[in-house]
Formats: sequence, C-alpha cells, structure tokens
Amino acid sequence: MSPGKLIVAAVLAAALAAGIVLALRSQSPAVPLHATVLEPPAALPEFDLVDHNGDGIGRSAFEGQWDLVFFGFTQCPDICPATLQVLAAAKAELEDRGQVPLPRIVLVSVDPERDTPDVMSRYVGYFGDGHLGITGELAEIRKLTDGLGIYFRKQATGADDYTVDHSAAVLAVDPAGRFSAVFGGQHVVENYLNDLPVIMEAG
Amino acid sequence: MRPVVPAAVLFMAACGSPQPPLVAAGVEVTRPMPGRHMSAAYLVLANNTDGDTRITRVSSPQFASVQMHETTIEDGVARMRELEALVVPAGGSLTLERGGKHLMLMQADDVGKGVTLHFHSGDTLVLSVDYPFPEERG
Repeated sequence: MSPGKLIVAAVLAAALAAGIVLALRSQSPAVPLHATVLEPPAALPEFDLVDHNGDGIGRSAFEGQWDLVFFGFTQCPDICPATLQVLAAAKAELEDRGQVPLPRIVLVSVDPERDTPDVMSRYVGYFGDGHLGITGELAEIRKLTDGLGIYFRKQATGADDYTVDHSAAVLAVDPAGRFSAVFGGQHVVENYLNDLPVIMEAG
Repeated sequence: MRPVVPAAVLFMAACGSPQPPLVAAGVEVTRPMPGRHMSAAYLVLANNTDGDTRITRVSSPQFASVQMHETTIEDGVARMRELEALVVPAGGSLTLERGGKHLMLMQADDVGKGVTLHFHSGDTLVLSVDYPFPEERG
C-alpha cells in the first residue's frame, strides 16, 4: 500500500471510530436521571400471595421479565390510578419507540381486605393488557413490603370507612427477580422514558 | 349636569346579571373504576369577589357523598386526608388536581352521561357545575 493510500485508510479508520463513539454517546445517557439504582440489586423476599386470577404467586413470578411494581389499592381514587396511568403511558410510548424489552406493570394491593382477585382483575385490566395484580393474606403482603422498605398503614376516615397511607414509590425489578431501582414520589412519564431503557440496559 | 354611569354598570345591566362570584374551569371527573363506586373530580375554581370564598360542602345528585380531600406525598409516603373546607382566595383561584387537593365522589348511584357538582359555602349554594362525560373512546 502506498503512503498516500495508508493515510487515507488511517483517516477513514479514525473517522469511523469517531463516528462510533459519537453514535454511542448520542444514545440515552448512561445513568438514570430520576430513579435511584440499587448497587447491588436486592433479591425479593419470599411470599405466598395470589394474582388477579386467584392463582397462587410467589417470588419466582418476578423472574423472566422486567417489572414496574407499585403498591396501592383500588379504592384510592387519586394517586393510584394516576400512577398506573403514567406507567401504562410510559410503556406504550416505549413500545412505539421500539424499546425491547418492555416492563410488565404490577400493582400489589395494600388493602387485601377489599381488593379481592376479582376486584384486582377488573382494576388492572382497566389500564391495559398484560398487567399483573397481586393480593392475598395481609401477613404475606407484609413480607413483601417489609422486605422492600414499603410502608403502608390503614387510616380510618369515618365510622365505617378507611383509606390506606402507602409509599408512593415504583420499584423496578430485574428479570432475575431482584429489586434494582426505585422511582420516587412524583411520577412523570418522561422520567420513565429517559431512565427505564438505561436501567434495563445496565441490568 | 347629566349623571355619569360607569361602563361596567351599563355592561352588567345589559347582561342582566353581574359577573358570577365563583367560576369553575378545566373540570374533569374520572369515571368510576370497574368494580368501584368512586371517582375523583379535578377543576380550577376562580373567585371574582374581594373576599375569600370558603367551600364547606360539596354534593352531587349522582353520589351518596362528596368529600374534599388532599393527597400529600411526604417522605415518600402518599397520604389522603379529608379537608374541612376549600378556600378560594379573594380575586384568585384554587386548583384541584391529581396528587393534590381534589374531590372524592363516593358511592356512585348512576353517573350515566355525566356528573353534577354543587359547591356550598355555609348553607348557600354558590356554584353548580355540570360535567358531561366525553364520548367513550373506541
């Protein structure tokens, strides 16, 4: 190869390398801007609950896909539906963008007394297909929430009614069934669009 | 000398009614979730008077009861509390929104095609709002 051709080849190689670096850099930022990532991720505790079809469900149900897990209750008229709408909208937008994989959306009831599987089924179905509702014995729900640092507490609102105070966080659980990131209280679609691909890529 | 009548008074006389003291905008009422009998209502209340308006009761013919609530997120925990009153400041507005102050409509009777909300200050009905549900999306 002549010196001239070598120079051309070197310049082309350098340009190609620069192009690759730029292309990589123009991808999503390498760190989540809104979620807090757990290093290392924490395995979910064991639990024995039921899904929205009434079938038994345990820790292994969280293996094999990414999950976005929210703790709430179906008689919560404000923040719970608003959060599930945000998660469903973020998932739909990520799907439109060709994101693979996509997370499953999971609602764990903190009001199992009223949230029977039938109630959960109609509720999670309202927000779209493929969502998972989890309910069951209070003591088993406590195993899950205590293990994840999720707070909830029943609060009377009248003689025969109550609401449930609960952590507003959304947890990202990786395909190995490990709690790997947490989104804090104010849920906005854009935060998920930005951070989820990064979290799922890193995980 | 001829009396000078302010333009605003003429306008009011022409309209037959003064500017309403309280106005609602951006009304949204969520449909009760499947299997549930409760909704939430969000809107902006504007007060055109020079005194605060204190909403002490909200009622609806389609619901057994309406409560004024506030959702707060403190230390990562979402809480919902009943409020005794909503205060719309003089010449200002109050926003009822998701994750903040809102109306909780309980025990739906028949919401049909929409919802009516009655806002009371003391014993007085100060505002009535009709919210027709938009056509169901296909």
